[in-house]
Amino acid sequence: MRTRDRSACLLLRAFYYGHGGDFRLRLWTRKSRGKLLVPLLFLAPALALYAVFFVYPFVFTFLLSFQQWDMINPEKTFVGWDNYSQLMKDDVFWMSLRNTFLYMLMTMPISIAIGLGLALLIESLRGGRAFYRFIFYLPVVSSIAVIAIIWTLMYDDQHGIVNELLAAIGIDGPNWLSQTSSSLWAVAIVGIWKSFGYEMLLFTSGLKAIDRGIYEAASIDGAGRLRKFVHVTLPLLSPITLFIFIMGIISSFQNFALIKIMTGGGPNNSSNVLVYELYQEAFQFFSVGKAAAISILLFLIVMTITLVQLKVSRHTVHYQ
Amino acid sequence: MVRYWRQAEETGKHLLLAALALLSLVPIIWMLSISLRSEEYVFSGHLVWTGPIDWDGYVRALVDIPFFRWFGNSLRIGVLQTAGQLFVGVCAAFAFAYYRFPGRDALFLFVLMTMMIPLQVTLVPTYLIVNQMDALNTFTGVIVPHLASGYVIFLLRQSFLGIPRELAEAATIDGCGPIRTMWTVYVRLSGTMLWTLGVITFLANFNEFNWPLLVLTDPGKMPLPLAFQYFRSETQMDWGATMAVAGLSMLPVLLLYLFAQRHIIDGFAQSGLK
Repeated sequence: MRTRDRSACLLLRAFYYGHGGDFRLRLWTRKSRGKLLVPLLFLAPALALYAVFFVYPFVFTFLLSFQQWDMINPEKTFVGWDNYSQLMKDDVFWMSLRNTFLYMLMTMPISIAIGLGLALLIESLRGGRAFYRFIFYLPVVSSIAVIAIIWTLMYDDQHGIVNELLAAIGIDGPNWLSQTSSSLWAVAIVGIWKSFGYEMLLFTSGLKAIDRGIYEAASIDGAGRLRKFVHVTLPLLSPITLFIFIMGIISSFQNFALIKIMTGGGPNNSSNVLVYELYQEAFQFFSVGKAAAISILLFLIVMTITLVQLKVSRHTVHYQ
Repeated sequence: MVRYWRQAEETGKHLLLAALALLSLVPIIWMLSISLRSEEYVFSGHLVWTGPIDWDGYVRALVDIPFFRWFGNSLRIGVLQTAGQLFVGVCAAFAFAYYRFPGRDALFLFVLMTMMIPLQVTLVPTYLIVNQMDALNTFTGVIVPHLASGYVIFLLRQSFLGIPRELAEAATIDGCGPIRTMWTVYVRLSGTMLWTLGVITFLANFNEFNWPLLVLTDPGKMPLPLAFQYFRSETQMDWGATMAVAGLSMLPVLLLYLFAQRHIIDGFAQSGLK
């Protein structure tokens, strides 16, 4: 049998059994047309919005990445893989790519560790928990643009407070935002400061979901605090940890405002990240095709990382 | 003996947390401190200063700058966008939670996927579409593209799934049409979640920066964070006034947060997100 006929057969079979063993196309009988219509009506606003502002732009970006356009001239020229090959040869692109990954590695582990530590510490208190959670979540709700400006002044070598505080404990701080070696770290520190509260909250919700009885059982079995933490707490926190990792990585890739306000790409592109380069190409250099190519690459990178994470999670994440 | 050890441990934890909290608040404390200094003390660089408390920065901030206009803009964007997102979200979540129809799970997976794609991937074409709609530099252009929020739909669906189907079925038997069912059963019973989500979404929308940056070019229409940044780059505002504006910008958000923090934090902490 030809492959096409074979697949058709399989499909028909699945359809037959999937519909409870008869060929009446249930989808189209009066009764189930009603079943489909109402929920679709409720979904209509969301689906329409997604279609216009998500699906269409996505396809458009994909197609645009193979063209060259300056957004003003209505004419778009098809250039094939040119945009991509130009990027591959572009030093700025590789720098941005490297910085994006570095930024992710700088912010994620530290803010997750702080979030987890604080969540555990606060949860173990007997009183005042709400107060501490309130304080630590404050940076998260602050406006990022305002925060960026405050920290810019804080990092100032002569007038800022960061180096002054460091000097008080004997460390000679660098000129944070103006040195290529420290600009990315400067932004990363603000990124950590702004997000650990969110991770702390998520971990708190994960901790609260753990049944106290399991700890008691572990105690009876003779487990000390460290053992309980490693063998009870951590595994039971793994679903929320996975969620935090996935969302955390995605949002660290999206970090834009801090770079725009604090460094503008940093001295010599030392703090340029993919999304900022995208912005520059599209809105400063008006080479939209190249920006689109960067978008697609960004998408592929994020998707790959997420899929890898999900795959790894099959072995490491425990669901109750 | 054990009791004293426990007490000491508790106190130790409090001390550690208090120190960390203070450290974490340094930027905000420092901002307030600079905003209250008079010109000559601004750059004395310390956390505390020896001069008098000078409210002049705040006066200049409120008088020389269209602060209330910007605040109004932020409020407008925040309220309208949040209301829109909740409306779209409730309808979609209702469809996902109550009804069974072919393609339901695939569509929901699609919604989840939209949360995972960085904003910037669809940025340029969205901008072009808004341009085509002649909505550049308008509030419509800022609000409409983000009305479908995967985050909102996801959380509302989770919440709706927690409401027993029997209730909705009983309502239908009693003669409620779908809209009435949605309202009286699902919306009415999801009070806490709607509040929590409403506040969180409002805070995010009020503080939004990236998208308004691209869409709004008229300083009169800019929301607080954007206008603040624009003003700083256009004029050389003295730092006292700058920090005063920063402080005033954060104030509404902080007040809302203070007022609603029980909802947010408890909502988060007790939802047992799995």
